[in-house]
Amino acid sequence: MNETDQEVQKQVNRLYKSHYGKMVSSLLYFSQSIDIESAEDIVQDAFTSALSYWQSDGIPANAAGWIFRVCRNKALNKIKQGEKVRGFFEDEDFSSIESRATESPIDDYQLKLLFACAHPDFSPKVQVVITLKYVANLKVEAIARILGMSIDGVDKLLLRARQKIREEKILFTEPDLLFMKYRIPIVHKIIYLIFNEGYKSSWGKEIIREELCEDALLMNKALLESGLGNKDTAALHAMMLFNAARFKARFGKDGELLDLEEQDRALWNRELILYGSKFLAQSQGGTISSYHYEASIAYVHCMAKSFHLTDWESISRLYKQLLENNPNPFVEMNYAIALYYAGHIQKALDILQQLQQKPFLNHYYLLNAALGKINLHEGNFEKAKAFFLKTLMQTDSQVEKDYVQKLINRMDS
Amino acid sequence: MKKFLLLIREDITNDGNTTDESFHAGIQAMTKWVEELAESGNYLGGEPLQSEGRYVSKDFILSDGPFIESKEAISGYVFIQAENINQAVSIAQSCPEVTAGNILVEVRPIIEMEDE
Repeated sequence: MNETDQEVQKQVNRLYKSHYGKMVSSLLYFSQSIDIESAEDIVQDAFTSALSYWQSDGIPANAAGWIFRVCRNKALNKIKQGEKVRGFFEDEDFSSIESRATESPIDDYQLKLLFACAHPDFSPKVQVVITLKYVANLKVEAIARILGMSIDGVDKLLLRARQKIREEKILFTEPDLLFMKYRIPIVHKIIYLIFNEGYKSSWGKEIIREELCEDALLMNKALLESGLGNKDTAALHAMMLFNAARFKARFGKDGELLDLEEQDRALWNRELILYGSKFLAQSQGGTISSYHYEASIAYVHCMAKSFHLTDWESISRLYKQLLENNPNPFVEMNYAIALYYAGHIQKALDILQQLQQKPFLNHYYLLNAALGKINLHEGNFEKAKAFFLKTLMQTDSQVEKDYVQKLINRMDS
Repeated sequence: MKKFLLLIREDITNDGNTTDESFHAGIQAMTKWVEELAESGNYLGGEPLQSEGRYVSKDFILSDGPFIESKEAISGYVFIQAENINQAVSIAQSCPEVTAGNILVEVRPIIEMEDE
């Protein structure tokens, strides 16, 4: 590939990432007789045309407008003659769309799409997949890789989801405020899950993970700025910022996983932490959601000068409150770990032992890793090793395997 | 949120026919699924059931019951909460053992008593 071709490819990729979902939703808004499948075909075609035309003719000044225009022409060929159309196609001023898009990567169209993806009939997993596809503009291959699914699996899931999206009136009409309010908790959950997917340690040091966290933050920011957000939105924002602030410190220079104790706290982003505190303050005064508790836990971690100076007592109290309204055996494990570091060793061990008896959890690698670490701390090396060996069998992630192997090696030497 | 019981039905005469490896892979996939459900706040609980039990009626007690030879005996349950039955169904559809065609899932809404 020569230099121009590479430049064109880069520009097309950039536009795809920023405009794909927007173009699809614009087409749906444009005409009732275009369904989501043909809208996606049209947009795909337009991007393919852009690639080949621009390689010979150069990139036009208004690149997004060029693609929008191709979409419009293809769409006009599809719809019945004389049918009423609407939307941005009526005026030819694409520059306004483009300039708006550069200010905020998420505009009204995408926000509407986000609410459409938050259909209560979809499982959270489906909601996440379609949001990644239509709001974050990720390709099917990327989604499959991120969620550990097969490409075929993602395709099948999208096929089923499209049917529902087509029935969704929200894409074709002005959104009803009451209706949007009702869906906000689901939208929060989607954003939360996308952020977590990006944040999970099992990913290792890959750019795409960081981008996922950014996408989640951008969506939530758009929600806050739209005026639709509430106190929970602010709490969720704070939580994501506190965790994002620690992003860079979680991996060593060879990409190896570092646990909280090993992390260089100087690498934590103070500005993001400060910014997060602003949202945490903003989130106060209403009812307390799980996001409030999670944000507060992350905040206490961010404020600690070192691992040992962490206020584990407060953290375990916050976990306890979180569990009261949201019983969850996986969170209970974190509660027990916090209790352990707060010095309530017996209570922590009791909970962990209880969790071990639960179906699913006894095969959970993080539980065995936690039991291994605690036994290591307590000097029960044999027991610790047994738990670590169990963990090695239970995770497929190489960075996690390496981390556990490192702990075993340390014991052996 | 409403509560639902996902009854897992499978051919329990198949038990013991699976290799250790596929059994292990199955458990790992199910653990990941349950972890995701917990993360999204849908998981409330769940347990596998032994294949042998008692079958009780007014007049008789059978030690193996009619289910021992059954193609669709209940082999476990998962207790979840979901927005509505369609979401509960969508969640059940995402179970890796369902996708693999190993089990059937019966989705039953819990009747909730209204406050007087």
